[in-house]
Amino acid sequence: MTIHRIHFFAVVCIALSAVACKRSAPPSNTLIYGRSSDADTLDPIHTTSGETVKVLVNIYDTLVTYRELTPEQADQGIDPLEIVPSLATDWSPSNDGRSWTFHLRREVKFHDGTPFNADAVIFSFDRFLKHATPVPPYRPQFSLIEEITKEDDFTVTFTLRKPSPIFLQKLAMFPTAIVSPTAVKKEGDDFGIRPAGTGPFRFQNWDRGEDTIRLTAFDDHWRGRSKIDRLIFQAIGENTNRAERLKRGEVHIADNLPPSTLDGLAGHEDIVIQERPGLNTGYLSINCERPPLNNVKVRRAIWHAIDKAHLIRLAYAGKAEPAVSVVPSEMWGHADHLVDRPYDVDEAIRLLNEGAAEESFTLPLKLRLFTMNEARPYLTQPPETALFIRDALLEIGIEAEIKIGNVPEYFQQLSRGEHDLGLIGWSPDYVDPHNFLFSLLDPDSISDAGGNNVCRYRNAKIHDLLEQAEFESNNERRLAIYHEVQQIVFDEAPLVPLVHAEIRVAQSADLGGYFVHPASMERVRLSFFRDTTP
Amino acid sequence: MTQFLLRRIVHAVATVIIAVSLVFLAIRSLPNNPILARYGQHAPPGEIEEMMAQEGWNEPLLVQLRNFLADLFLRGDLGHSFQSPGQSVSEELARRLPATLELTLAAMLLALPIGITAGIIAALGRNRAPDYLCMTGAMIGVSVPVFFLGICLLSIFHQMPAGDRLPVWSEFHFHTGFWLIESLVRGEFSLTGELLRHLCLPAIALSTIPMAIIARITRASMVDTLASDWIRTARAKGASRWGVVLRHALPNAAIPITNIAGFQIGLLLSGAVLTETVFSWPGLGSYIVEAVLHSDYAVVQGGALVVAILFVVTNLVLDVVCAWLDPRIRLA
Repeated sequence: MTIHRIHFFAVVCIALSAVACKRSAPPSNTLIYGRSSDADTLDPIHTTSGETVKVLVNIYDTLVTYRELTPEQADQGIDPLEIVPSLATDWSPSNDGRSWTFHLRREVKFHDGTPFNADAVIFSFDRFLKHATPVPPYRPQFSLIEEITKEDDFTVTFTLRKPSPIFLQKLAMFPTAIVSPTAVKKEGDDFGIRPAGTGPFRFQNWDRGEDTIRLTAFDDHWRGRSKIDRLIFQAIGENTNRAERLKRGEVHIADNLPPSTLDGLAGHEDIVIQERPGLNTGYLSINCERPPLNNVKVRRAIWHAIDKAHLIRLAYAGKAEPAVSVVPSEMWGHADHLVDRPYDVDEAIRLLNEGAAEESFTLPLKLRLFTMNEARPYLTQPPETALFIRDALLEIGIEAEIKIGNVPEYFQQLSRGEHDLGLIGWSPDYVDPHNFLFSLLDPDSISDAGGNNVCRYRNAKIHDLLEQAEFESNNERRLAIYHEVQQIVFDEAPLVPLVHAEIRVAQSADLGGYFVHPASMERVRLSFFRDTTP
Repeated sequence: MTQFLLRRIVHAVATVIIAVSLVFLAIRSLPNNPILARYGQHAPPGEIEEMMAQEGWNEPLLVQLRNFLADLFLRGDLGHSFQSPGQSVSEELARRLPATLELTLAAMLLALPIGITAGIIAALGRNRAPDYLCMTGAMIGVSVPVFFLGICLLSIFHQMPAGDRLPVWSEFHFHTGFWLIESLVRGEFSLTGELLRHLCLPAIALSTIPMAIIARITRASMVDTLASDWIRTARAKGASRWGVVLRHALPNAAIPITNIAGFQIGLLLSGAVLTETVFSWPGLGSYIVEAVLHSDYAVVQGGALVVAILFVVTNLVLDVVCAWLDPRIRLA
C-alpha cells in the first residue's frame, strides 16, 4: 500500500501544482500564426503547398508582386490584385512583346548580407528553370521563358518564346522568388531548411518535431523594418485546439477553421473574424467518361437539382457566393453575362427522364459521389456538402453513395477518374482566368497521374480557344475568348460550379494591419499589436 | 534462464525484420503515388515518371526491399522524407520517440496505481457499491472516445496549456529528446514544472483506457485469487485483511495484470495518435499516420521499424518479468 500511496500522493501533488500555476503568455511583439499543417520545405521552387507559401512570402521577395495593404486600405477600395514593383522598380515590354526589361532595386541585401543584383536574379531563375533536381513542380509553367540576360548589374531582360499576356502574373508567383546565391551554394540540398531571401523576415529556426517555424524581423529590409519583432508559424492540426489557443491568447491568428468553430469564436470579445472574398471555386465534378454521365441532359439535370443558395446557408454558414462559372466573379475574365440555371426539381426530373430514354438506363440511377476528409478554402465542410448533394439528387431519382477519401489519395482517385461525381475545387496559382480554365477543363489536363481535368471532359474547341488566348496580347479579344469558353462549359455542364467561398480567418482583436489577401499572400510586415505599438 | 532469454531474442529480431518487410511491401502496393501525394493538384505533368525513376521507385519491389535492408543493416541509414525534403528520418524519429516515451510513461504512471487500486477495491467489495462504482468508472473510461475527452479537458482546464511539450515562444535548447529528465538532471526545476504542466492533460487523456482495462483485469484476477483455498487458510491463520490482499493475493493475481499492462504500453507507444492530434503532441503515432497518408515511404519504413522494436522489446521485458514472477513460466 505504501508504494501506491506514494504514487497517489505524487500524482495529486503534480495535478494540484499544475492547476495552481498561472498560465504563461507569449512575449510582447511576437506574432504567432496558428495553421493546420506545417510547411514541407522553405525552398520556394520545391513546393506547391499553401501552408508553405504563407511562410515563403514573408522570407522572400519576387521581382513583381501583388499589392501589400492593410485591411483599412482594402476597405477603401484599393485593389489588392494589382501587380506592383517589388525587387524590380519598373519594367517595359518590347514592341513585339517577346522581351521584357526589368530595372532592379539598388541597395537591397539578402538576409546573409549578400548584395542583391542582376546576378542573383539570373542565378535564381537558372536554378529554378534549368539546374534544380528533382524537377520543380512549377517549372513546366515557365517554359515560355527562353532566355534571361544581364544588361548591367541592375538590369535584366527576359526573352519569351511567344508574347504572353500573363507573364507578369506568373512572375508574381512564389517559385520565382529571388534566393541568396551565397546561401544556396553554402547549404546545397539543405537550403530548404536554412533559407535566405530579401524578405521582411529572416529565418531563425525550424523545429520540425514541434511543427514550428520561427522568423525574426529583418532590420535591413528595403521596405523598412516590420513592426512585429518575431513571427512564429505553428501547426496545430486539430481545429478545436487551434481555436482554443486563440481564445487563450496563445496564438494570434487561426486560419482554416470550419464555419461552426468560427461562429463559436465570433462572440468572443478578444477575437475578430476577418472575412474577405476568396479567389476560389468549389464545384461538383462530373466524370464525363462514364455513361450515362456522357449525356449532357443528365449533367444538366444534376445542375438543376442543386439549390446553391440553400447549400451555402447550410454548409458554408452563408459565407460564400453561388458560382455560375469556374472563374471567380471577383476576377477579371469572369463571364458576367452568364445567368445561372435555376434550381428546378421538375425540370431536372424531365431532363433526367429524357436522358434515361436516350441512354436506356432505368431510374433510380446509382452513382458514387466522392468527397474528401479535410476542409479546403473552397470546400469548408466536405461531408456536409456531400450529404446535401446526395439528398438533392435523391429528389430527382439519383441515388448517390458517398465515398470519403483522405486528401493526398483523394486528388489521385479523382485524377484517375474513379468517381462518378466528385466534390473538388481550385485556388489559382496565378490570378488569371487561364489558370482556372486550362487546368480544370483543357483536354491536355487529363491524366491519370495528377491531371486536374478530373471531369475528363474532352472538347477540342476549348483546347483551340485556350491556346489562342494564352498568346493573345489584346485584352479585349482575350476576354472574349474566355467568355466563349465559359459559355461552352455552361452549356455542356461537365461540372456544376457551386460556390466561391469567402476566406475567413479568426484573429486577436488587438492585432492590427493584418490583411487576408485574396491571392493567399499572407504577408504580415504591416501587422502590429495595438497595445504594444503606439 | 539464459537459454530462455536467447530464444526470445532470436524470435524478437526475426519478428522485427518480417514486420518491417511486410510494411515495406504493403505501403508500396497501395495505388498511391508519393509525388502526387506531395504536389497534389499542382503536380508537374509529364515529369512524374522521371521523378519516380530518380527516387528509385520504378525498380521491382524486391530489389527496392533489398536496397532498403542493405542501407539499413550496412549503413544504418533510414533515408530521407520525400514529403519534407531535408528531413532525415532517423533524426526525426530520435526527436519524436522520447516525446512518445515520456507521454506513455506518464500515462502509465497514472493508469497503473489508480487502475490496480480500483480493481482491488472492486474485488473486495464485490457486487456491492464500491464494485459498481469502480466498474462503472472503468466502463466510462473505456467507452469515452479519447478525442472527445481531450477536447473536454481542454475546455474545462483553461489555465492549463492546450498542447505541445513547451510553449512555442520558449527559447530553451535541449541536448536530448528526454526533456523532462534532462531538466531534472540540470536542476532547472521551474522548467520541469512547465514541462509537467504541458504533460498533464495529454497524460490524463491517454491514461483512461489502459486505466479502465487494468482495473477490470485486476478485479477479475483478484476475485479468482481471493476465492482460493490458500487465501482462506491465510485468513484462518490470522493474517490481517490487507495483509492477505497485498502480500498473498495481489502477487498471485499479478501475472494477468502485468501482461495486460505490457500490452497496453505497446499500444500506447505506437497508437497514441488521437491524443497526439488533440494536444498537438510531437509523438510517433501522428508522424507515422501522416506519412502513410502521404505515401512517404522512408518515414513509414523507419516508423514501422521503431514501432516493431518497441513492441518486441516491451514483450521481451514482459516475458522476463512474468518469468520472474512465476517460475512455472521459466520451466515451461
